[in-house]
Amino acid sequence: MIKLATLFWLVLVTASGLAMFAVKYQVQSLDDRLGDTKKAVAAQERELRVLGAEWAYLNRPAALADMNRRFLSLTPIATKQLQTGVADIAMRPPPPPEPEPAPPPVVAAATPAPDTAAAAPLSGARLPGSGLPVTPASLEKPGREPAAPPAKSLDELIARIAAVR
Amino acid sequence: MVALQQFDDNPCRPRHFKPPPCVPVVPDGPARQALDGSRARLLAIGAAFVVVFAVIALRAGEVALFGTGTARTPIARQHRSAPPAPMRADIVDRNGKLLATMLDSPSLYANPRQILDAAEATRRLLTALPDLDGAQVLAKLTSGKGFVWLKRHLTPQQEYAVNQLGIPGLQFEHEERRVYPYGALTSHVVGYTGIDNEGFAGVERGLDRVLNGRSEPLQLSLDIRLQYILHEELQRVVDDFTAKGGDGLIMDVNTGEILAMVSLPDFDPAHPGAPDPAHPEISPAERMFNRVTLGDYEIGSVFKIFTTAMGLDSGATTMTGTFDATHPIRIGRFTISDYHGKHRVESVPEILMYSSNIGEAKIALAVGAQRQQDYLRRLGLLSPPSIEIEEVGKPHFPARWREVSVMTIGFGHGISETPLQVAAAGAALVNGGVLRPTTLVKLPSGYAPQGRQVISPKTSEEMRKLLRLVVEYGTGEMVGAKGYVVGGKTGTADKVVGRHYAERKLLSSFLGVFPMNDPKYLVLAMVDEPHPNKASHGYATAGWTAAPAVGRVIERIAPLLGVPPVDESSPQIEHALMVESLQGKHIEAY
Repeated sequence: MIKLATLFWLVLVTASGLAMFAVKYQVQSLDDRLGDTKKAVAAQERELRVLGAEWAYLNRPAALADMNRRFLSLTPIATKQLQTGVADIAMRPPPPPEPEPAPPPVVAAATPAPDTAAAAPLSGARLPGSGLPVTPASLEKPGREPAAPPAKSLDELIARIAAVR
Repeated sequence: MVALQQFDDNPCRPRHFKPPPCVPVVPDGPARQALDGSRARLLAIGAAFVVVFAVIALRAGEVALFGTGTARTPIARQHRSAPPAPMRADIVDRNGKLLATMLDSPSLYANPRQILDAAEATRRLLTALPDLDGAQVLAKLTSGKGFVWLKRHLTPQQEYAVNQLGIPGLQFEHEERRVYPYGALTSHVVGYTGIDNEGFAGVERGLDRVLNGRSEPLQLSLDIRLQYILHEELQRVVDDFTAKGGDGLIMDVNTGEILAMVSLPDFDPAHPGAPDPAHPEISPAERMFNRVTLGDYEIGSVFKIFTTAMGLDSGATTMTGTFDATHPIRIGRFTISDYHGKHRVESVPEILMYSSNIGEAKIALAVGAQRQQDYLRRLGLLSPPSIEIEEVGKPHFPARWREVSVMTIGFGHGISETPLQVAAAGAALVNGGVLRPTTLVKLPSGYAPQGRQVISPKTSEEMRKLLRLVVEYGTGEMVGAKGYVVGGKTGTADKVVGRHYAERKLLSSFLGVFPMNDPKYLVLAMVDEPHPNKASHGYATAGWTAAPAVGRVIERIAPLLGVPPVDESSPQIEHALMVESLQGKHIEAY
């Protein structure tokens, strides 16, 4: 009986000792990893600071202005280009009257082949005044009614676009 | 125990007799007493152990079951590789753009006792760092000391080159260095630091303690875009008119925040004392001088807005009041005459519009010496300006406030002010009459610091109308910036050289506010000694130099500040800024 109890305690002590050592070494290696990670984080942070400073340096207004002069030639916005509301923007003048183009040859086809559709003259929206089709061929279904007259006001135009959608 | 043994070991003990097994035979006497004593002691010690173990068990249970912060922190704190916090906080502008930061910059030092061959080490070191002085390095390396600095703040390339040499006895010390990505653009505001990163000028010095004690960046009220625009336009005026210098600032009139502050010539904060290679004749001291806060100038006619305001606010005159400006005033050895004179009786709006010295002198006389001083003191014009940086100048004014002083101060002579306080007081005239402290630190959005009511809201409204009038019909016509309802006042002063006014040395300035129907921002520009050029038809007055510069600045900054252009001839704006006393009269535009 006594022997059994001794054995039990002996096993328990050995097991807990082993477990303790295992945990100790695990903690030690974790601690090393933590230290390494912290060092790496600090290095990364230093690198970030350098990059941040470099970013600020490269984005100096003077440097941007110089690059603008060389590559873009943008100029400051003139006061007359600024409008406070959409309503202030003048409408495009109505296009001069022009003869209706010849009816497209594939009007009747319900589901025309894509290449025919692309090749067909478009009857969709036209840029007022220019007479050129503005809707890409792939988006415009052939056979729709010709473009409505230009909108009288912006609200009307917006309403019309909303209706089409 | 002894008794029991005696009993048992007795050879004569009969076999059949056995003492009862568990009953100790305890003799009486001293032995018994000793036994009782030890039992009591055992009990006490046992109880103590029980208590201690109970505490340990409870604590262990608490740690295991609930976890606790107190057990963990000391371990984390002593961890050897915690990243070091930057020594000094970054400085950023109001949009978070980096104005000053700390970067790694190792410094090279040597232990001369470990150097084997000083001459050889010096020769090789000079190949990696050619800008070192060879003789000095050799002297340091043969000094026999244990520690000498060789070069502070190396670049990464230099560090690599020195490491490649592999000279024993050379070591690097990890150090950090202040870097200013925008260079000269923010030089006077942000300032610069010394080799040990202590603040020497500007915000770096004024807020040194704040910067040292925090990890998150310090956000200034500055906007680097506005700073650049102001800098560029001022530089243009200085170059166009071959001026000695210039300065300017942009300020939020409702909060007192400084959005831009430029003083020309400026300096590179990385090399503050070095001469400018492009202009070696300009001394470093002159370049490092902050004209906006430290310089004090007789600003001349811009000062008339304060005289007019105190005239209206004190009741000494009204918007319909008139003063005779037909003849120059002679007092003592002085003669006060008009530059843009109309030589007739002028109303108060006309006096400001045509910038009449005679008229303003008479308004000042009507206000009186005592009230004039009171108003100037309330406007903060008789004490140094309040701002976070330490380079602030003191206004100069006569100790004895005589009648002639009253008159000359009325049109801005005989009193010198820093541009910063002129701007702050000017903002108070148009924002409803509240003087707020100027600040370089960004305020929380929507917060305006407690101000002091210095003139009544009614006077402030009248001043808005008058300043608009100056730009619409008066000396400020050259401002331009149509659509932003600019108002303002020009000022062209003869500079004091020695004890006299120099005829051909001017100080041209313009104080502009926009939009005048609801003042939001103030732009002040000052040009020091502009020289007339062909494009200005021989003029170097404020109307031709500072005013157009302010106009260009406003045209460029208004879209960034979200101020939309409006139709200046719309009835609402015309009505809001209408000067009733001039209605129906013929305005002699200028």
